[in-house]
Amino acid sequence: MKLIFEYEESITGHLPDSSDDDSHSLGDLPRELIRKELPLPNVSEIDVIRHYSNMSRKNFGVDIGFYPLGSCTMKYNPKINEDIAKLEGFMQLHPLSHQSCIQGSLQLMWELGEYFKKITGMDAFSLQPAAGSQSELLGVMIAKAYFKEKKEKRTKIIIPDSAHGTNPATAAMCKFETITVKSDSRGNMDIDEFKELLEEDIALVMLTNPNTLGLFEEKVLEISDLAHRNGSLMYCDGANMNALLGITRPADQGFDLIHLNLHKTFSTPHGGGGPGAGALGVKTHLSDFLPLPRVVNDGKNLALDYDRRKSVGMTRYCYGNFGMLVRAYAYIRSWGNELRKISEHAILNANYLCSLLKEDFELPYDRRCAHEFVLSSRKLGQKSALNIAKRIMDYGFHPPTIYFPLIVPEALMIEPTETESKETLDEFATALRKIAKELKENPDFVKGAPYTRSVERLDEVIAARRPNLRWNAHTGLEEEDGKKMPGINEREDRRQK
Amino acid sequence: MGSLEGTKFTKEHEWITISSEGLAMIGISDFAQEQLGDIVSVELPKVGSKFRQMQPMAIVDSVKASSDIYSPLSGEVVQVNDELSEHPEWINESPYELGWIIKIKPSNMEELDDLMTAGQYSEFVGEMGK
Amino acid sequence: MNYIPVTENDKRNMLRHIGVNSINDLLIELKPRIADSGGLGLSNPMSELELLEHMKRLSEKNNLMKYFIGAGAYNHYVPAAVNHLLMRGEFLTGYTPYQAEMSQGTLQAMYEFQSFICLLTGMDVANASMYDGSSALAEAVLLSSSYNGRNGVFVNNGLNPQYVEVLKTYCEGADLEIVNEINEKTTCVIGQNPDFYGNLENLEYLSDRAHKVGALFITCVVEPTSLAIVQPPGYYGADIVVGEGQSFGIPINFGGPYLGFLGVKDFLLKKIPGRIAGMTADSKGRKGFVMTFQAREQHIRRERATSNITTNVELMAIASTIYLSLMGRTGLKNVAKLCYSRAHLLQEKLAKMDFKVLNDKPFYNEFLVRAPSGSSENVLSHLLKEGILGGLHLDHDNILICCTEMNSLQDIESYASIINERMLLK
Repeated sequence: MKLIFEYEESITGHLPDSSDDDSHSLGDLPRELIRKELPLPNVSEIDVIRHYSNMSRKNFGVDIGFYPLGSCTMKYNPKINEDIAKLEGFMQLHPLSHQSCIQGSLQLMWELGEYFKKITGMDAFSLQPAAGSQSELLGVMIAKAYFKEKKEKRTKIIIPDSAHGTNPATAAMCKFETITVKSDSRGNMDIDEFKELLEEDIALVMLTNPNTLGLFEEKVLEISDLAHRNGSLMYCDGANMNALLGITRPADQGFDLIHLNLHKTFSTPHGGGGPGAGALGVKTHLSDFLPLPRVVNDGKNLALDYDRRKSVGMTRYCYGNFGMLVRAYAYIRSWGNELRKISEHAILNANYLCSLLKEDFELPYDRRCAHEFVLSSRKLGQKSALNIAKRIMDYGFHPPTIYFPLIVPEALMIEPTETESKETLDEFATALRKIAKELKENPDFVKGAPYTRSVERLDEVIAARRPNLRWNAHTGLEEEDGKKMPGINEREDRRQK
Repeated sequence: MGSLEGTKFTKEHEWITISSEGLAMIGISDFAQEQLGDIVSVELPKVGSKFRQMQPMAIVDSVKASSDIYSPLSGEVVQVNDELSEHPEWINESPYELGWIIKIKPSNMEELDDLMTAGQYSEFVGEMGK
Repeated sequence: MNYIPVTENDKRNMLRHIGVNSINDLLIELKPRIADSGGLGLSNPMSELELLEHMKRLSEKNNLMKYFIGAGAYNHYVPAAVNHLLMRGEFLTGYTPYQAEMSQGTLQAMYEFQSFICLLTGMDVANASMYDGSSALAEAVLLSSSYNGRNGVFVNNGLNPQYVEVLKTYCEGADLEIVNEINEKTTCVIGQNPDFYGNLENLEYLSDRAHKVGALFITCVVEPTSLAIVQPPGYYGADIVVGEGQSFGIPINFGGPYLGFLGVKDFLLKKIPGRIAGMTADSKGRKGFVMTFQAREQHIRRERATSNITTNVELMAIASTIYLSLMGRTGLKNVAKLCYSRAHLLQEKLAKMDFKVLNDKPFYNEFLVRAPSGSSENVLSHLLKEGILGGLHLDHDNILICCTEMNSLQDIESYASIINERMLLK
């Protein structure tokens, strides 16, 4: 395994040579400004192609196989959307172009906002956030501005204990304190504890619905009602919108704000961890706070409006991850008024897969799941979720999300999405059941998995204790001054003593 | 592991022993290190900083988890185990000796009564497993 | 178009296995329901062919121009190989490498990206990317405040105005304040290089002023091709370097997705937000990569995390890693030299036509001019009619102009002669 920095010197040129440009050489720059050394490699194009092509083959993607990562909605990314996103008129447009030149893109943004309004029941949308977490940040900033204007001192945010880590982290970024409410025996946020904790200083209640257990919050209407009577706002983490399209609208559940993850529900590709795109929807009473600029439509022309006094400002350069907005737009246009089929089938697939697995694993909550479900493998021992995850790779599947939500021990969160066939679901269930058996009959074998990837189980502890985070001439895991960090096997031995 | 007589424990799995000079040494229990897994780093407080009883004073990170360390007694930090930055694994291998984390000068010894003895902690941990 | 593989037959079998009669039975819990509103008021579905036609027409409502504008988004040449590699399903359709053994390609790419950023900026460690340059800057400020506990943020003149706005928004949320003085309440001092007007400077003096009061010095690099020929911020004392990587192989795309980068000196490693890949070994001693220091991140630290950031922009990071690999040291220097010389060529021509050049320092590929009195609007609209976006119109009749390797000598000639014609006509 070679790093790009370790190739022998070679180069392929892609541009005309600057020394053919008669005019201005860098000699005009003061010496102290000129860089003395640029320690980058020179690699020929054929080697670059081979390097990255071979690297990609060590990866797994939705295009390669089943990827049931709970909470991530790893659905098929339509290839036509890739072509559409590359249309010159979209891709080569400079964001600071004259208004008359950008009517197509503005129209796209306008219409997309309108679609989101219809889908969620919200009154206004911002397409500026670059991701779900940035949408949340925007939402919390808006809540902060809202209460500041009302001159109400509210410093706390309520979240359920099943919440995703971004929720409290976002709260902290805006100097809010997080109050956690436990989940009840049906997996809902405990309404009695909620009532107790709902004080005057609660600004926001952040819920995911369906929640991270894949279960619909049964008391959401009651919670909204209580929150509103308390003067608090209701925020919906829309990560699980894939269960609700055309079936129910978050606005009807009492939410004042919602964010959507376009790379989840709306099929934009995950890219190995991004880019994503978020969209933040709000009810009228919050729309003045949305970030700048707003896209406005007078019926004839579209424009970017910066004249909104109460706006929280800007959360990024320009308007949003436009390249992802194009894909989401195309996706929605292709489904049109049949959007509901997406959620219906996401729910069907999840319930079917769950029914195949609930005998061999534990289902912590005795309820119908939405588009994803959480199993516990704790009957199979400590660290069983980890070992199952590593072993499932050998069967050609990506592991589900493990150890989340935190309230389920040995959690396996599985979200098949609607774009999988019954055959795939059957194969996956068969594999999981086989591994459960393997764990009972030959646990050590499972603990050493995976065996069929480019590497076997990697030592995450050494990676953190002896960080090697970038290439330099003296890279490698060999230690200086003869000291050696104990590796996996050694640590096990020492622990046994 | 030496005798744990005289060592007291908190509900958050810290242990504390008082030396003859009236200084207190603090670390996390064997149960805690087991739960956390391989420790990768420790965020230590500055010498001289003061904490109230059960206020978070340090953070211990493993690969998969991040855990606050709460001060078993109110007091002032007089020494921290700097070597843990090179040897975080001592917390796993020797949680009561080499893996000690912080030494404080307690300001109120009566607070010791709020803590559990080794025997009580043992029971407490046993209960947790159920 | 329908990407649902389950057939009617499958559906019947599945429902039977679950033990219900219809999909509606599965939806019982998802109350309240909207009345069946006939598809949310959306239009009919479209086939792939119809969709493509529709999107083409929409994209043609935009007008592309010859660009002489930058101001945060730079029109550079992207070698063909970048896209071909990027479109591989293994790069495009995977997710965050939580399961390292399934994602060695992504993780190695992250590691190489981190390395490139360090090599270019002179920092010790970098993360695997952030949303864009402006939010990377905001996150650097939060990092700084978390490090030294202070609240004052000093911004040197010349920071991209949109970045200033983003900073204000984040600071408002986090109870930080943008201040006019550097003193012991200052958490960080920020300088952009080259700045918004293209000016290049040795920012050592700013670095000194920051360090004297115990503040951190942050350099923001919005046009990083400059780093091929200009001394890196590590050289003049930066503790943190942030910037926008769009110039490295990412199309202008109407403003996004772009690529934020953030690098720090060693002592700030534990505070760095976002994902980081590290090299390690597997049980057989083979080299491999994992995400590391995850305990800093939101999914573990939760409310104690420095940042809530979840996704990075991995595909864009891969794009820029491939771009930098393809261009290499030689190619990148070439880009920078072309940018520099084209910009200076145009500036010279405009100076000859009574345009006042306002840069009092050496500049890279952007420069500020004032059109002969009252005529900026005219100049730009005339250029627009000829299909040229001549620059960014700023206050006081100033125009911010940018040239890259995409502006050929011909283009520059046209620009100048159109202006000349226009002025002769007056």
